[in-house]
Amino acid sequence: MTDVEERIAHGPIADAVRSGVLPGRVWLYSNYHCNLACSYCLTESSPRSERRELTAEQMIAIAEQSKDLGFTGVGITGGEPFLLPWLTDTVLDMVEFLPVLLLNNGTLFAGDRLERAARLAHPDIALQISLDSHLADINDMARGPENFAKVVASVPRLIERGVRVRIATTTGGPLDSSHLDPLRALVASWGVPPDDHIVRPIVRRGRADEFGLGVQAIARDIPSELCITADGAFWGSFGPTVSNGRLDTDLLLTRTILPVSVPANALLAAISGMPEGADATLGIR
Amino acid sequence: MNDVSMSRVELLDASTAPLSAQQFFSGGDPGPIVAALATVPELLVPALGFVGSALGAGAIGVRAKELAILRTSALQGCTYCIHAHTAVSLDVGLSPDEVRALRGELPLEDGFPSARERALIGWIDALAGATGPVPDDVWTEARDHWAAHDLVEISVTVGATMFLNRFATGFQLPTATHVLERLQAEGMA
Ligand code: SF4
Repeated sequence: MTDVEERIAHGPIADAVRSGVLPGRVWLYSNYHCNLACSYCLTESSPRSERRELTAEQMIAIAEQSKDLGFTGVGITGGEPFLLPWLTDTVLDMVEFLPVLLLNNGTLFAGDRLERAARLAHPDIALQISLDSHLADINDMARGPENFAKVVASVPRLIERGVRVRIATTTGGPLDSSHLDPLRALVASWGVPPDDHIVRPIVRRGRADEFGLGVQAIARDIPSELCITADGAFWGSFGPTVSNGRLDTDLLLTRTILPVSVPANALLAAISGMPEGADATLGIR
Repeated sequence: MNDVSMSRVELLDASTAPLSAQQFFSGGDPGPIVAALATVPELLVPALGFVGSALGAGAIGVRAKELAILRTSALQGCTYCIHAHTAVSLDVGLSPDEVRALRGELPLEDGFPSARERALIGWIDALAGATGPVPDDVWTEARDHWAAHDLVEISVTVGATMFLNRFATGFQLPTATHVLERLQAEGMA
């Protein structure tokens, strides 16, 4: 067996990823608490939320086992991952196995935290930061006071330090609206390529459901990515939402999270026979 | 709708049941055992498969199975299973006195004059009502009347019932209202 063959994962999960049946990225909810409390938050996160953290050891093991199974990347979301003091070191360990996409709210990059985040300047690590409008008051309506100011200050600082930044815009309006042109221009002015600016709808789960915001989506409308949390593994990164303080269990796959093969096989079983959904037309990602 | 007020664990319903558990909720309330097991979806299908095979129709016949389930539940003191399987036992033809004898409310000899059935109950009692080794005389008596594979089958039924007994008792699963009402009406609650 050659070196290259040795590195190629085999098995049903690897085959499903290669053939596009299973998305290549495994999502991790590192924690559920957040310094913000956005109105459309899927997880009802806030500073008072139960933390429900994965441990650093679990996150590294998930990255390693996901690679062995044939997945091609990991995404980290929350809650706000950068509230975890050990996050940077853990991400640097995880990227030894797979590329890491790290979602965050972009408001925690001052002083020491900025320098710690700068260590994430790595070709296989990207920070995806949320920004919903080029207008501070519109952006801050959903995301809280001074959010816009903090994000527009942080993004150039991170980019200056060599960190790859993507921007995610969550909108209640049409995804191709020309209203977003000034925001696209702002994002481009930081040198973020158009493909690294993600525009997606509000999904009506969690707090968004409470406020009647966003698009309705059932399981087959939600990209079938494996998503792992401290409470179990779910169908899709929109699966482990929280409604009225209760973790939604409708998209729960398994309580077992390690070995990753257990939830991965459960996801594969759930996908087979499921008719095609509307995730592409709804633009959920 | 499940009576969630009594249960120690959340009983899922059709709106909260995980994807792989949905099949059990499509026909209405599947009962508290399924609703509780659904909180750990990877265990639901294998556990129900085991329990369904162990408690369902088998070579030994439904009367022997119900005898094992109700007797085991009585020995384990499981109110939920005693209620549920008092109803099932009556439905499959056990007499009220047989049910009472299995529940320990009448002497066993009064309900079960047949030496063959008493030998089987002796085996069940040794498994579900005691700890440690099963005495040779209990085994010999059972073997005099039953094939070894019959005793294997009934032992699996006893084991699966003990799992349900401790599960239902530990989580304080509620007896369905219609079962309680029926047993009260028949003087068997
Ligand atoms: S949407 Fe993100 S940033 Fe906003 S409260 Fe939720 S986890 Fe925090």
